[in-house]
Amino acid sequence: MNEAYVIGVGMTEFGRHPERSLTDMGREACWRALKDAGMHPKQIQAGFSGNSLAPYLQKEVDIGQPILREVGIVGVPIMNMSNACASGSCAFREAWLAVASGLYELVIAIGTEKAFMGKGTMLDVGGQDFQLMQGGVFPGDFALRARRHMLEFGTTKEQLAKVSVKNHKNGCLNPYSQFKKGFTVEEVLNSPMVADPLTVLSCCPNSDGSAAAIIASKDLSKRYCEKPIKIAASALRSGTYDPNRNLAVFDLDIEASKIAYEMSGYGPEDIEVAEVHDAFTIAEIMHYEGLGFCKPGEGGCLIDGGETKIGGRIPVNPSGGLLSRGHPVGATGLAQIAEIVWQLRGEAGKRQVENARIGLAHVAGGGREGDIGATTVHILARD
Amino acid sequence: MEGIIKCPSRVGEPPRLLGNRCSSCGRVFFPKRTLCPNCFTDDTLTEVELSSKGTIYTYTIVHYPSPAGIEAPYAYGYVDLPENNIRVFSLFTESDPKKLEIGMDVGLVIEKIRIDKDGTEILGYKFKPV
Repeated sequence: MNEAYVIGVGMTEFGRHPERSLTDMGREACWRALKDAGMHPKQIQAGFSGNSLAPYLQKEVDIGQPILREVGIVGVPIMNMSNACASGSCAFREAWLAVASGLYELVIAIGTEKAFMGKGTMLDVGGQDFQLMQGGVFPGDFALRARRHMLEFGTTKEQLAKVSVKNHKNGCLNPYSQFKKGFTVEEVLNSPMVADPLTVLSCCPNSDGSAAAIIASKDLSKRYCEKPIKIAASALRSGTYDPNRNLAVFDLDIEASKIAYEMSGYGPEDIEVAEVHDAFTIAEIMHYEGLGFCKPGEGGCLIDGGETKIGGRIPVNPSGGLLSRGHPVGATGLAQIAEIVWQLRGEAGKRQVENARIGLAHVAGGGREGDIGATTVHILARD
Repeated sequence: MEGIIKCPSRVGEPPRLLGNRCSSCGRVFFPKRTLCPNCFTDDTLTEVELSSKGTIYTYTIVHYPSPAGIEAPYAYGYVDLPENNIRVFSLFTESDPKKLEIGMDVGLVIEKIRIDKDGTEILGYKFKPV
């Protein structure tokens, strides 16, 4: 494998954009990433576009070509990728692979979604899935995990709420964030119940937005970029669906992060900033454990001790995460990459983690039968 | 729910969930599968009636209506069936948090579970605290 670097990132503000099309938002993210990289669109040799819900919500398919056409990336190979919440991170992974394999020297990855729904709206996708037809919903599935985690490790509702408080506080510092409003533990706990013990403010919104990254070979990145960020590892694992497994643990986090740590030569103790898939408060606490930021069962203590806030031992979701930045499903993975790149370059403004050199981005996407569909872990590092 | 539930034919008999079992590796599946994903062999699966008694592994109470046509609040989760060494997904009859607990004994019942988009009431299985 050759070394590959991120040399440009860009994104739209996340939130509610009823007047904007998928193509329009995608164009903005691509244009910003190209400008950030200082590359002309005609230099891009391949494109990878992530989206999950457009076939269902907008009745649009294969949106990568129309988006990239807007900025003049035409003729070259373009692939449309779909892997639920991991659509964007998988587009990034394929872009990395395209450069790491030596096939291309300069490619673009983009993730775009238009999925705004009012809080508390249940996502109605999955067709005739057995569990869905019997009332299974995403917040409910995470509530099932929360109950097990609370029973097995003594995790409290207050600890869950603190994740939402932290991420909304961080989101206030991020100009791209959907919610720029802080909440107290009491406000999180007293917001309307969605799936016991998860309240509205314990669940991420579905949002509109797009994010993109330009990936280049080592030679090219050193020639054109002042602050290239190395892709030190990329890992993807899919669900195993063992019906008897422990729901208080994210098996895929453990497996994917193990691969990523081995590939990069770094361990969890080396990670200085992380963006993790906090679709629900309990998820962030369980991801701390799955990614090795603390011992199994100690995720609640980590949030209690303030170790994951900006300025803490291992800041998690300085962007505001899905809870506050918002969650345009297929765009989230690339928004995380953009955030980590900004953090490692020292360009994250008021939410900057001081002198961060090594960062991790984690997405847990989709799922069936109570297991996650696709989990990605990427490790980025400043040279 | 055809092929998933066996309704009792005599008064006093409990309903049963129908799974299948692989004669090669012994694993039990619910809902049924068409081949055993663990054994690279054809025709190893036979139908089995699962135990109608289990314990709650985990549960939640959902406070928004389900897109499948279930009114809120409703409860669902996973039930361990120790006799069959399998955990199954299920709705619960109760949606009062005081009446549900992890580890609680539950038994299988047949009930209306949802209303289809065309207004048809759909029967299915639920577990009820014993």
